Amino acid sequence: MRGKAIYAIALGALMGLGGVARGEQGVTGTTIEIGAFGPITGPAAYIGLGGRDGANLAIKEINAAGGVGGRKLVLHFEDDGHSPTKALAAVKKLVDEDHVFAIFCVAGSNGTIGSIDYVKESGRVMYVSFASAPGVTWPFARNLFRGGTTEVPRYGELYAEFIADQMQAQKVAIMSGREEYPKNEGDALTKQLQSWFNTTPVVRVEFNIGDKDFTSQLLQVQQAQPQAIAFFGNPAEAAIAMRQARELGLNQPFFVGVTMVDQNFIAAARQTAEGASGFALVPLLPGSDDATLKAWEAKWKQEYPNLPAGRPNIFDLLSYGDMYVLAEGLKRAGPEPTTDKLIGALEGIKDYRVSVIATPRTFTPKHHIGNLQLVAMQVKNGQWVPMAWEGKHPSDILKRYQ
Amino acid sequence: MTWQIAFQLAVSGLSVGSIYALVALALVIPFKASGVLNFAQGEMVTLGAYIGLVLSTSLPLPFVAVAALTVIIAGAFGVLIERLFIRPIVAAPEFTLVIATFAIGLIIKAAIRLHWQDNTFPFDAPYAGPALAVGPLRVNPSYLIIIACLAALVGVLVAFFRGTKFGKAMRAVAIDPRAARLMGIRVESIFMSAWALAAGIGAIAGLLVAPLIGINPEIGQLIVKALVAAVIGGFTSLGGAVAGGLLLGVLETFCGAFFGATLKNIVPFGILILLLLLKPQGLFGGSLQQRV
Repeated sequence: MRGKAIYAIALGALMGLGGVARGEQGVTGTTIEIGAFGPITGPAAYIGLGGRDGANLAIKEINAAGGVGGRKLVLHFEDDGHSPTKALAAVKKLVDEDHVFAIFCVAGSNGTIGSIDYVKESGRVMYVSFASAPGVTWPFARNLFRGGTTEVPRYGELYAEFIADQMQAQKVAIMSGREEYPKNEGDALTKQLQSWFNTTPVVRVEFNIGDKDFTSQLLQVQQAQPQAIAFFGNPAEAAIAMRQARELGLNQPFFVGVTMVDQNFIAAARQTAEGASGFALVPLLPGSDDATLKAWEAKWKQEYPNLPAGRPNIFDLLSYGDMYVLAEGLKRAGPEPTTDKLIGALEGIKDYRVSVIATPRTFTPKHHIGNLQLVAMQVKNGQWVPMAWEGKHPSDILKRYQ
Repeated sequence: MTWQIAFQLAVSGLSVGSIYALVALALVIPFKASGVLNFAQGEMVTLGAYIGLVLSTSLPLPFVAVAALTVIIAGAFGVLIERLFIRPIVAAPEFTLVIATFAIGLIIKAAIRLHWQDNTFPFDAPYAGPALAVGPLRVNPSYLIIIACLAALVGVLVAFFRGTKFGKAMRAVAIDPRAARLMGIRVESIFMSAWALAAGIGAIAGLLVAPLIGINPEIGQLIVKALVAAVIGGFTSLGGAVAGGLLLGVLETFCGAFFGATLKNIVPFGILILLLLLKPQGLFGGSLQQRV
C-alpha cells in the first residue's frame, strides 16, 4: 500500500515537472505543439517562406502576450519542396514523430493534396492557410479548415464574370502551369466560361513549373488571336511570359491568378505588369498606404531585415492572420484543448480577424472556408490598386455553404 | 511562321545558346587544363550572380564596376576551390573527382541558402528595359547584350590563348602536362588559373542571366545543357563549345515553337544522340586515334 502511494506520488511529480501530455498529443502543461509544412526550397519557395515567416511572427507576438491559456505555441516546420509525396512525408513526421497537436498548412495546392487523405485518416486538425484545391473543403471533412483562400471553383466564377463583364473579352486564351493550383484555376475558368457565358477559350496552353521560356506557348496564343490572356502559375513564370509576349507583339491585357496579385509579381515583372488584373485574397496588399499595414510591414521588416523586394508577400500576410485565427480557436477550446474542442471552437469563429490587414474569417459546422471575399485589382503605376467591380452573377459555389 | 517571328526566335535562341556556350566554355577550360570535369560549374554561375547582388546592393558602384569586381571575386573563389579541394585529390580516379565537384556545388548552394534562402532577388542592369523596336521587329536588349558578351569573350580568349605567353603555356599544359613541366611551365599555376578563368566566365553568365530571371539558388541550373553543348562541340574545343551552345539554344527554341513545350527538350537531345552516333567525337573534336 505504501509502495503504491510512493509510486503514485512519483508519477504525479514526474508529470508536473516534465509537463507530460495531459491526454492529448502535442499539448503539455506549458506548450502546444503545432506542425507546419510548405515549400521553402525550389520555384514555389516564395509560398512557403512567406507562410513560415508570417506564422512565426504571429507566434512570437502571441507568446510574448502570454501564449494561449498560459501555454506557449511551438512551431515545427517541414519543407515539402512543393511536392505531394514530400508533403505526405512531412505531415507523417509531424504527426507520428513530432506528435504535434494540430497542423498549420502553408503549402501550395500541390503539396496540400498529397497530405489530405492521411490527415483525414489521422483525425488531426489541419488548418490550411493558402491552398485552394477543392479537396480541402469539398467533400466536407470535419478536421480540415481553409483560412485565407476560398475554393478554386469560386475563383472560376469570379474570373469568368470579370473577364466577360469587365474586360469585355469573348475570346480568351489560357496559359496555365501543369501542377495542381494553376491547372485547377485554368480548369475552373474554362468550366465557368462555358457554363455561364457559353464561351470556350480560344486556346489553352500549358507549361512546367520553373520554365524560363514561353515562346512556343505564346506563338500558339498569338495564332488564336485572343482578346485577353489569362495566366495561371507562379510570379516568376508570369514575369517572363509577359515580357516575351510583349516582345512577340502580343499586346492583349493579361489576367493573372490570385498568387500573383501581390508586390512579389510586380517586383519580378516590373513595367510589363502594368495593366494586369486579378483578384486579391487580402483587403490590403503590402506596399499600400494603410497605417495599420504600414506598421505591420515595419514590424515584419524588423524581424526579417535582409529579405528582397516583394517580401513581405501575401503569404506572409495570410499565414500571419491565419495563425491568429488558429490561436483564437485554441483559446476558445479551453484550458484542456482536445481535437474535438478545437474543431468546435473553430466552427464558432465568426468574422474574426487580427486587424484590418486580414479578411474576417468565419467557419460554421456546415462549411470550413474561412474567407469567401476576393477583391478585383489592377496594376497601375507599379502598384496593385482595388477596382470598383463586384460580381453580380449568383454563385453556385456560395449557395453550397448557405 | 512569319520571317519576323523566325528572326525573333533566332535572336532568342542565340541568347539562350550564348549562356549555354559560356557555361560550356567554363567546363571545357579546366577540363582541358587539368582533366577535371567540374560539375559545380552551374553553382559558379549562381555564385557569380550572388556576388553581383551583394556588390550592387552594398556599394554605390556603376554596373560595369560591379561586373568587373564580380568576375575578379569569382575568379578568386575558383582559385580557392582548386587549392583547397581539387589539388589535394587531383591524382584520385576521375570518378572521385567528379563526385568531389558535385559536393562542392552542393556546398556552394547550401551556403547560399543558409543566408538568402530560396527568395528570388530582382537584379537590375542598365541595359534591361523594354524591347527595342526595329521596324516590325522587337528585340529584347538583354538578348543582344548576352550575344555581344559571348562574342567579346570569345575574342578575348582567342587573343589570350594565341597571343600571350601564359595562354600558350595553358595550351601546352592542355596538350601534354608532363612535357610542359619539363619545359619549365609551372603546371600547378596553370591548373589554378584555369579554375579562376572558369569561375570568372561562370560569373559572367550569372550576371547576364540575372536581369532576365532574377537571382535564386537555382539560377545556375544549366550544367546539363552546358555539358550537352560541350559534347556537341567535341569537349576539348573552345570553338566547339561555343558552336555547341549556340546550336543547342537555337534548336531548343525552334523545336519549342514548332513542336510545343513538351518536346522542346526531347528533340534537341534526340538530335544530340543522333549526332553522336554519326560523329562520336563531336562536331569539332579530333578523330579518336589509339595506338594498339
